[in-house]
Amino acid sequence: MLNAIEKLAKGFALLGGATLSLLILITCASIAGRSLNSIFHSDWSQSTIPEFANYLLSLGVGPINGDYELVEAGMVFAIFAFLPLCQWHGAHAKVTIFTSQFPLGAQRLLIAIIECVFALALIVIAKQLFEGMESKRNSGQVTFLLEYPLWWSYALGLSAAMVSALVATVLAGTRLMELFTGRKLFPEAKDAEH
Amino acid sequence: MIGLLSFPALLVLVFLRVPIGLAMFLAGFMGLVLVTGDMSLPFARLKSETYTTFSNYSLSIVPMFLLMGHFATLGGMSQALFKAAEGWLGHRKGGVAMAAVGACAGFGAICGSSLATAATMSRVALPELRRYGYSGGFSTATLAAGGTLGILIPPSIVLVIYAILTEQNIAKLFLAAFIPGILAALGYMLTISIYVRMHPESAGTRPRVGYLDRLIAFTKIWHVLLLFVLVVGGIYLGWFTPTEGAAVGALGTGMLAWLAGGLNRTTIADSFYVTARTSAMIFFIVLGAAFYNGFLAITQVPQEAAMWVAQSGYNPWLILVLILVFYLLLGCLMDSLSMILLTIPIFWPVVQELDFNLVTMVELQTYKLDALIASGADISTTALSKAQALLGSGQELSRDITRELGLRGVSKGSLNRANIEHTAIWFGILILIVVEVGLITPPVGMNLFVINAMDPKTPMIETYRAVLYFVASDLVRVTILVAFPIITLVLLPL
Repeated sequence: MLNAIEKLAKGFALLGGATLSLLILITCASIAGRSLNSIFHSDWSQSTIPEFANYLLSLGVGPINGDYELVEAGMVFAIFAFLPLCQWHGAHAKVTIFTSQFPLGAQRLLIAIIECVFALALIVIAKQLFEGMESKRNSGQVTFLLEYPLWWSYALGLSAAMVSALVATVLAGTRLMELFTGRKLFPEAKDAEH
Repeated sequence: MIGLLSFPALLVLVFLRVPIGLAMFLAGFMGLVLVTGDMSLPFARLKSETYTTFSNYSLSIVPMFLLMGHFATLGGMSQALFKAAEGWLGHRKGGVAMAAVGACAGFGAICGSSLATAATMSRVALPELRRYGYSGGFSTATLAAGGTLGILIPPSIVLVIYAILTEQNIAKLFLAAFIPGILAALGYMLTISIYVRMHPESAGTRPRVGYLDRLIAFTKIWHVLLLFVLVVGGIYLGWFTPTEGAAVGALGTGMLAWLAGGLNRTTIADSFYVTARTSAMIFFIVLGAAFYNGFLAITQVPQEAAMWVAQSGYNPWLILVLILVFYLLLGCLMDSLSMILLTIPIFWPVVQELDFNLVTMVELQTYKLDALIASGADISTTALSKAQALLGSGQELSRDITRELGLRGVSKGSLNRANIEHTAIWFGILILIVVEVGLITPPVGMNLFVINAMDPKTPMIETYRAVLYFVASDLVRVTILVAFPIITLVLLPL
């Protein structure tokens, strides 16, 4: 069970990483297209290689239409897809200096409570994102340049948000089980990296 | 009242180990519920707030710079940088440590994160330092301090977040960080030189390297120079937006890492995992901060605090110093990004009201007049010579003269805007330095932990002892930058 959840979290981190890489490529391709477009439109190209330049321009050499929109939509998915692994590894920034002085039992209780609240927060976030998606779907709002329905981007983000909520819930359940049975099921959270 | 009480409540949550993003989220959520009396407002905001926060175009720089830093690690650039710096500096007293600092500065120019810089350079430089007889604590302290150059020297993730919070231009902030970053590197080298004179046993000697070999080693860092010029230069010159610059940088380092044979399935997956954890952590704090700030805005607390400070008539310099000291203390407990996201929404409205007179009307008019002349506009020569004489003797131009010259953008409002922008940028750089001190101050300096984990034989206490010299260097530098704002602002256009 725990292994499957870890695989899921890692799988989504990889998906998010792949999305991020794709967005990087799209952005760079758009910059290249924009630069080439202005080179071919320049006086020099238009006087020395007019046919070649205009041929390429007619093929649509230029910035990618709506690259901003793609980056924004993709980033929502990527960040939500990054959350499960962050949750699973306990990589959120926190101040442990005071609580590490507490007795072990109190620390465990505190961690279990925090994980439960976190899971609840992520469930609420996913639920409200769903509501947000529904309202975008009902309003029929489309993006500015590419004119695709905005709720598609919401749906993509929602899929990963639900995985975050699931991972957080399993983690919270594990911590509660540990609290009641006293057995160690899952290693202590690591400290954050920045 | 609820607004005022929310901050101590938030700090209690944070000190009770509640993750900082979650703590801000909860404080904002509960605050909204208490202020409006029911749950409908926070729930309604959540429908779109996560989406709009995570899709913020400027914020997408953060994961791109993080990925860029990890690719830079895989590309063997740290090795090349260290070799190049070692050739020039290694034979001096404490020279290998100086070379480590120099290489950290170079790596900081392509990496926006301190921990990544500290970890990467340690892998290369720690074995060398130990080989030439540098003591354990001195070596680890040097690298911990050198690592902080990662966020000081642009590109810098902390500066990106600060720019978004205060609505400032990222390119200008990067530009302003440049001289303070160089000063930091030089200050650390000076610290090393003082340290080895006080503790001669802590550093060995290393033979001189021939000039030809030095030059050869130097040519091997072409890729770092190219990337820095392309990314930071390109952003500043307006070839592309900061986000596009980050994408170019990530692709560039990725290709270099691939050429160096550093990319394979395992290393790519690992870079994704680390980027994922750190990005998710940062974005969740940003989400929590957005939620908390939305609540604060309703309560009007930041505006009232700003008004109170403005009317209290306290010396602005005193308030600035108090804020910086607060950051130094908080930095002993909390990481830099969390601190900035937690406090800037409250401090920035206050600082905005403080008048440091960073730009005078004469400076603004001189700058605008020079720009007007450079633009080749048609100006009456008599008015021009009169204006230049007045400005030269330090007198403001009257409205009649500015109208006759056709000089625009020199109103009281423009002066005010220029002052606020300069204050924002100067304050941002000062904050960046004081929060970065927190990375190397005991007990929770993250850089110290990262490096000590790589060198388990050195007791933590030895690192603590040596790192105090570098903290002193930081404090001297921040004092200089507070006293002379011009050092930070000299490169900026008005």
